[in-house]
Amino acid sequence: MAETKNFCASIATYLTPPLSIILIDLLFYIPRSSDFWNFIRLVPFYTGIYFWSSQRSDAFNGITAFLLGIFADVMSANPLGINIMTFLCLYFLASRLSAYFNVKKFSYSWLLFALAIIIAMSFKFLITSVFNRMWVPINAATLELMLTITLYPLLASCYIWIERRYIHLEDRYEKI
Amino acid sequence: MKRQRVLFLKENYVLRVLKSFFLAGLFIIALLLILVHKIDISIVSGVSKGVMYISSPLMHIASLPAEGLSYGYKKIAEIMYIYEENERLRQENSELYLLKDRMRALQTENRIFKKLLHHIDVPQTISYTARVIAENDNAFSNSLLLYLGNAADFIKSGYAVVNSAGLIGRIDIVSGKYARVTLITDINSKIPVVSQKSRDRGILVGNNTRKMNLIFPPLMAELHKDDILVTSGAGGGLPPDIPVAKIKRAGVDTITAAPLFSPSELEIVKIIAYDVMPDKETAKELE
Repeated sequence: MAETKNFCASIATYLTPPLSIILIDLLFYIPRSSDFWNFIRLVPFYTGIYFWSSQRSDAFNGITAFLLGIFADVMSANPLGINIMTFLCLYFLASRLSAYFNVKKFSYSWLLFALAIIIAMSFKFLITSVFNRMWVPINAATLELMLTITLYPLLASCYIWIERRYIHLEDRYEKI
Repeated sequence: MKRQRVLFLKENYVLRVLKSFFLAGLFIIALLLILVHKIDISIVSGVSKGVMYISSPLMHIASLPAEGLSYGYKKIAEIMYIYEENERLRQENSELYLLKDRMRALQTENRIFKKLLHHIDVPQTISYTARVIAENDNAFSNSLLLYLGNAADFIKSGYAVVNSAGLIGRIDIVSGKYARVTLITDINSKIPVVSQKSRDRGILVGNNTRKMNLIFPPLMAELHKDDILVTSGAGGGLPPDIPVAKIKRAGVDTITAAPLFSPSELEIVKIIAYDVMPDKETAKELE
């Protein structure tokens, strides 16, 4: 019985981060009826990947970032591979930063998120521009970047709630 | 005891090295995928179709409450401005009545001219309606996700997607009952267009903003601000004479145009099935 529970808990642990990221991201794909709401565009994928790989590296790994990249590429009509590379870059940065800095403190986490997302988006900006042999509009990309950094606490609080509600690794270890 | 500790340390080291190579391996796979996408191998479209097949129904379900809210908001707005709208429609109607007779005369004249010139008309098109269920409008890509319903079997990649304003984009992938549309504003979009007034040709290129560039116009092109650009039909991919964009700036070095549609208006769209390209057998016969 304990083994079955343990198995279910580990499945839930590995599925919760990607599913929560996909769910929040899908909400941002819903068509909006006014131009004002259309103007507000975020990159919720980055928030989710940074959050899970820095806060719960036990539940989020490179393969998850890779699969999320495929999903993002297909949904956004980007050439297959661009989002995968960006997400892997963000995953690498988040896991490195969380190894060297105290990301458990929210203000530090926010600051490091800003740093990681600037590098990851610049990377994507370069790849997309090289692929299309045309510069991606920097104004729109900057606006998205600023909005995502500003609204990080809002999205992170959603992930914190999901983590507390659905991932109980500590309990599992105690039972073992 | 001492040997065991050495072995333990070595295992740990190997694992660490493998982990770092693993991430690098994933990076290389991603890079290869980009290259494969550039070559356009069917595996890539197969992967895209598979992912879309799974994610689109989820997206459709997620969009239902928003659809309801949007419907309610629009209905309230309609009721609030019903008198102004009625007045505007009356005026428009009277103008259209005047134009109707003129149009009939021009149609008859046009028919006679065509007969005299032995003009061959473009093939008849069939259109299908579809509902927009998702929108991806950001700095890196501009696309839509459509629910096709029963029309899915008749829709192919490359078909034109229009609304009341004009061309919106082209069907990119069809998977199950859903289709992804690349908008004309997307960085990958290139539409052959012609000026409605001067008939000067060019290629309208998207750049993920609402300012598209017109490239390869003729040297002595007579293009002016507010001129409408329509599809030229060159290449046989799109039907001719669909309004695409309005010229915003006609400079010496750059010509920019804005699309005629607004993203917030995209709710129901029309897909135009247009097949002028010969099938494989006919193409062989023609050769």
